[in-house]
Amino acid sequence: MTAATVEAPKAPEAENRRIAPVSWKSAVTLGVVTALFAVLLLVAPHAGDARFALSTSGDFFIIPVIVVPAMGTAWGCLVLAALAAVGAGLFTARGLRTPAWVPGVAAFAILLGFLSWAAAGSPRDLSIVGLLSGAVLLSVPLVYGALGGVLSERAGIVNIAIEGQLLAGAFTAAIVGSLTDSPYAGALAAVLAGMLVSLVLGLFTITYHVNQVIVGVVLNVLVIGLTSFLYSQVLVPDAATLNTTTRFPRVGIPLLENIPVIGPVLFDQTIIVYLMFVAVGLVWFALFRTRWGLRVRAVGEHPLAADTVGIDVVRTRYNALLWAGAVAGLGGAFYTVVSLSQFNREMTAGAGFIALAAVIFGKWHPVRAALAGLLFGFASNLQSVLSVVGSPVPSQFMLMVPYVVTILAVAGLVGRSRPPAAEGIPYVKG
Amino acid sequence: MKKAVALTALAGVAALTLAACGAAPEEEPGAGTTSAAASDFVPCMVSDEGGFDDKSFNQLGFEGATKAADELGTELTSVESASAADYKGNLESLVSEGCDTIVTVGFALSADTVESATANPEVEYVLIDDAADNDFDGQKDAENIKPLLYNTAEAAFLAGYLAAGYSEAGKVGTFGGQNFPTVSIFMDGFKQGVDHYNAEKGTAVEVIGWDGTDGSFTGGFQANETAKTTAKNIIDQGVDVILPVGGPIYQSAIAAIEDSGREIALIGVDADFYETDPTTQEIVLTSILKGMDVSVYEAVLAAGQDEFDAEAYVGTLENGGVDLAPLHNFEDKVDPTLVEEVAALKEAIIAGEVEVTSYLAE
Repeated sequence: MTAATVEAPKAPEAENRRIAPVSWKSAVTLGVVTALFAVLLLVAPHAGDARFALSTSGDFFIIPVIVVPAMGTAWGCLVLAALAAVGAGLFTARGLRTPAWVPGVAAFAILLGFLSWAAAGSPRDLSIVGLLSGAVLLSVPLVYGALGGVLSERAGIVNIAIEGQLLAGAFTAAIVGSLTDSPYAGALAAVLAGMLVSLVLGLFTITYHVNQVIVGVVLNVLVIGLTSFLYSQVLVPDAATLNTTTRFPRVGIPLLENIPVIGPVLFDQTIIVYLMFVAVGLVWFALFRTRWGLRVRAVGEHPLAADTVGIDVVRTRYNALLWAGAVAGLGGAFYTVVSLSQFNREMTAGAGFIALAAVIFGKWHPVRAALAGLLFGFASNLQSVLSVVGSPVPSQFMLMVPYVVTILAVAGLVGRSRPPAAEGIPYVKG
Repeated sequence: MKKAVALTALAGVAALTLAACGAAPEEEPGAGTTSAAASDFVPCMVSDEGGFDDKSFNQLGFEGATKAADELGTELTSVESASAADYKGNLESLVSEGCDTIVTVGFALSADTVESATANPEVEYVLIDDAADNDFDGQKDAENIKPLLYNTAEAAFLAGYLAAGYSEAGKVGTFGGQNFPTVSIFMDGFKQGVDHYNAEKGTAVEVIGWDGTDGSFTGGFQANETAKTTAKNIIDQGVDVILPVGGPIYQSAIAAIEDSGREIALIGVDADFYETDPTTQEIVLTSILKGMDVSVYEAVLAAGQDEFDAEAYVGTLENGGVDLAPLHNFEDKVDPTLVEEVAALKEAIIAGEVEVTSYLAE
């Protein structure tokens, strides 16, 4: 018996070893991107200096505006990126996994090179602080939405309704925030609104086993319709009392906020933004370090097994879904008590779907999904900042940048994205 | 369980009813009795996605059409489109309601309006803010459409001149929703006005966000964080006047101005913001007016009196179709000589002494 069991698995094990443990994907992607960048520099050289501003007035010390010769910098960055691509190729050829810093260096080099190229010859400073702080703010609803998505999908419920949760949150926060004059009450109401959307989603998908994708889509349409209808019938005629919120003030963290570059970007924000960073950590901790998280993941992967060991699948799924709604709803509050002081028809403009994409290319992991949201926010602001500085790229093309970056990141740098096994499958107790 | 199903069904019915409320033509029979000469003329209007409360062309067009209908002693039949998919169906249902004149709004409805107009040659169409020329041959695509166009570049030119003179920083900014001709015409006229000021005064006031051919766009017409960061990025360059072009995105600009903590003046578009949105009163320098209410009113009134002509209308400073709003709160903050110069410039543009280029200027 023992001899047999030792002998038998040997063959498949050897076979497994022969399968290449690393793929050429990242090396090829880096090579292609580097080549594209080289073509850009060759076809459209762009002489002049690029000016980067790193400081704001409140910093400990002022870094002067950095002026670099654009094309020289761009070519230098290109060489660095090419080296990284070759490095990735060498690692792969040796059968080693490419360390994360290699694509990191390449991405940074290409970004810097692209910025120098795009800002060349412009008399205006390209504000790095503006670029980064705008990126953080643009990604706030995406990160909250993605966290909500991760929470519910880990429990096995496809959450197409993130858009609806964000919009319901924004709408409720606007009304309650206006009536009470307190952004805190608005944010709390947004949390409840998100949970309400979740509850409806749960009722249909968990209790009545309806197809989760269909319910999610229908819920989005319902929330868009309801909020637009109520907006024009109720909020517009009485905008002064129902649709004029007090916004959360920015609260700088003493000392930290004076650090150049990082200070104004990370430590001079509103409480909703600070909460976002906390929420990423909390969701990660809850999912991977607590008994609750283990149960949530169990019902998402194999509800029957979870049920067999005594976990109440229905209850656990509802629980995770409600938390998901709460988080996404809070993200919705960002629109009306942080960003603007009023609600507008369909103001989320598809952010929920971008958040859904962030969930998938963050591989259903809270930290990775949050980073994906940040990446998208960064790319969005990049196009805005460059158009202000006066980039040679047509604005219509620049508006595509966030989506192109997302596709490249998903297709090229992220490996196989595996959803929770039981996602989308209603659990019917047999 | 049974109860829950019943509740669900009820919720579904409620949702459907609400949806129906949003889309059905609003008719109030009997309201026409206030007018002396009740008429059987049926004026109709369909909005684009923005809805009739967009504080822009839908709303202004709606006001104009309602006023004309009241005067004619009839009732305006209106349909709000919830999405672009509704345009065609809404137009069809208005035609089958027996509409005589249908007012449609904007570039987005252009193709469907042309299609409906070609299929129903006996119905008259008024298309706001679009030339109805989707094959770009310089001719409108159906005989029975009256396009209402506005050469807002002329009024924006005045605003640009005013902004350049008002700006202490020597930098003014602008950004738009999307790079449509009806949006960029504001930005381009604005820049021409600033350039004119520079040429006259030998100054070097900079325009940020529009370089004459391309500029800053948010990619949509929603007031949200995207529009706000775009405004912020422009404000970060040190401008003290900003012109956001495109429906509600000015609200994002206002939030960005508040966050910056600086004194930055806003220039409104389409309607006089001071009147339409009182929250802007403290910061709105002036507004570039696009007289859509007046021209729609005139077109519908003419149609009701059987005097419909399908000739394209082009609003200019000369015929009052476009104009610059009063300065209101900024009257004492702007140098009186600058105000006089702007008034003189207006006369010069009307007289053709100063040329403003735009896609609508012959």
